[in-house]
Amino acid sequence: MVRSLLDDSGMPEINAPTIVAELNELHDCYERALAANDVPALTAFFWDSPHTVRYGVNEHLYGADAVASYRQASAPVFTERKLLRRAILVIGQDTASIMCELSQKIFGQLRHSRQSQVWVRFPGLGWKIVSAHVSNALTASPGSTAWDSYVDQTAAALGLRIDGAHRPGVVQSLQRTATIAAPLLAFSIPDDAELAPVFTP
Amino acid sequence: MTEELLATSAAEIADAVRARRVTARSVTELALAQISATADSLNAFTLVSSDRARAEAAAVDAAVASGRDPGPLAGVPYGVKNLFDLAGFVTVAGSKINRTDPPATEDATCVERLRRAGAICLGALNMGEYAYDFITDNAHDGATHNPHDLARSAGGSSGGCGAAVAGGLVPIAVGTDTNGSIRVPSSFCGIWGLKPTYGRLSRAGSFPFVDSLDHIGPFARTVEDLVVAYDAMQGPDPRDHACAQRAIEPARPELENGLGDLRIGTLGGYFEKNCPPQARSAVAVVANCLGSAVGSRHIEIPQAGLARAAAFLITATESGSLHLERARTRAADFDPKIRDRYFAGALTPSAWYLHAQKFRAWFRSQMREIFRDVDVLIAPATPVPATLLGQETMSLEGVEMPVRPNLGIYTQPISFVGLPVVAAPVHTTGPQPIGVQLIAAPWREGALLRVARVLEQSGVCTAPIARLAA
Repeated sequence: MVRSLLDDSGMPEINAPTIVAELNELHDCYERALAANDVPALTAFFWDSPHTVRYGVNEHLYGADAVASYRQASAPVFTERKLLRRAILVIGQDTASIMCELSQKIFGQLRHSRQSQVWVRFPGLGWKIVSAHVSNALTASPGSTAWDSYVDQTAAALGLRIDGAHRPGVVQSLQRTATIAAPLLAFSIPDDAELAPVFTP
Repeated sequence: MTEELLATSAAEIADAVRARRVTARSVTELALAQISATADSLNAFTLVSSDRARAEAAAVDAAVASGRDPGPLAGVPYGVKNLFDLAGFVTVAGSKINRTDPPATEDATCVERLRRAGAICLGALNMGEYAYDFITDNAHDGATHNPHDLARSAGGSSGGCGAAVAGGLVPIAVGTDTNGSIRVPSSFCGIWGLKPTYGRLSRAGSFPFVDSLDHIGPFARTVEDLVVAYDAMQGPDPRDHACAQRAIEPARPELENGLGDLRIGTLGGYFEKNCPPQARSAVAVVANCLGSAVGSRHIEIPQAGLARAAAFLITATESGSLHLERARTRAADFDPKIRDRYFAGALTPSAWYLHAQKFRAWFRSQMREIFRDVDVLIAPATPVPATLLGQETMSLEGVEMPVRPNLGIYTQPISFVGLPVVAAPVHTTGPQPIGVQLIAAPWREGALLRVARVLEQSGVCTAPIARLAA
């Protein structure tokens, strides 16, 4: 089938229906591979090139090899992953961007995640992801607690880096502290009660 | 013969050494051999300072030979929790991170005072990392095993101390207690422990945990040994800002004075509700022994639960702040079971910490009121006897709860306001021993130790060497 790639003003066609459908299908395949932690499939979706880049929540991977190593080494940490909204943009026949918002639980904590991917169709290879970026929204989303963003903000203010894998434990620890502190904080003490031992200069 | 002597008491060893019936050197060698023989089964010692010990023993023997007074603890082997400075060694405080520090240049004050009393330092004892544990399951040095049942914890965070004394390796050990870390191992290992008044014993030369709540104190298998060690370590010390400027008040001279007019009461309310049977029996057995001194005196402390919460907040925030720089640079090197607590502690709102400090002042005045009408209070030390190593949950009267944070439910509200406590061992209420807290008003260790002595003489509270280790 030969079709003109350009409209009358010279702009490439935006969102050609068959290609949008093709990419919908590919992205669904990608999600299925993620859910199954199908490492070879996940790796194959990415363009095997040193130009490929993937930013994860806590990692910055340059080159297809780095992405592949990361896949090998990481275990899936999400559950209850749901696609909230997907925006596919196809420009011409060989270039597309797929952006989506997801809801998932990571280490049991509800997260509002975002995934951005740039796909390119290469001759002989088909569609490949050339760059990708995954992040979690910081502001409160359904189910997330104030402690998640509190930990992020105050840790940053204190120059304290908290590894993604440890963050849930820290949040949990703070939640536990809050629960323990609650009845104590509700116990009222007069303003002139001694605050601390008297400092002698 | 020396073997039997090591199994008696510090007082008998010192007697024998001073009377030249035995040399300090021979006692030291025997203790070193016992430590070596139990290294795998107990894992109590993390450092054995044999050269130092032999040198100290030689000095004691030389003093004896030349007619000089070698001190009240002449030739008595002891160990210290590995957060105390020992000159020439790195003070690890149960951590991996501290291992890259330079070695201590001088002994901790308590070590120096015990040396002057003639005691022989055999080395350093295992603890929970940076003292933030009640189990002594150390990620870097391994767990310490309870000599009464090797599958069980020796308690924490001074577990090495508990195991070394209960196992008959040394008659005396020195540990620390912030929320229960002397009393919990004493309870689990069935030995005597003393957490004196906050500020009584100098903490100088020890790696801190919570400055507002840290105490140091001795462990022993007899009340007399506990007292002699305690007296030897007493005295002001400008190197510890919290150490009171009080003259030494030796407890030894009044030890045999009996109960006299002491008014004793059992603690109810928070200390009784949901308290499991063995802990309750131990309290009852102690109260019964003390008879009319107790009578029907039964007291409730207001807001003991909030005291525990406040102690928790102060602990979390002060230790989090203490370790903040380590958290920034060496996060991966902390015990993974404990690390998140330091981070969370450093991030806890200051308004909460300050409220806890204000509450502390309020609670102190409540306790002062209570001690107008009573001299000694009795309460359980731990809700259960030694838990199994690896045990995650325990059931307290049908309520399932995690082991680790809840072992300190009875100890925390008391140390919160620095009250002196003797942990008294009771071996007759179950297959494992369990401890009972004897609590007094600040600075009244003498009264506590007299009561302890009465309990010991009656046979209700004893501290036999564990048969497994003997």
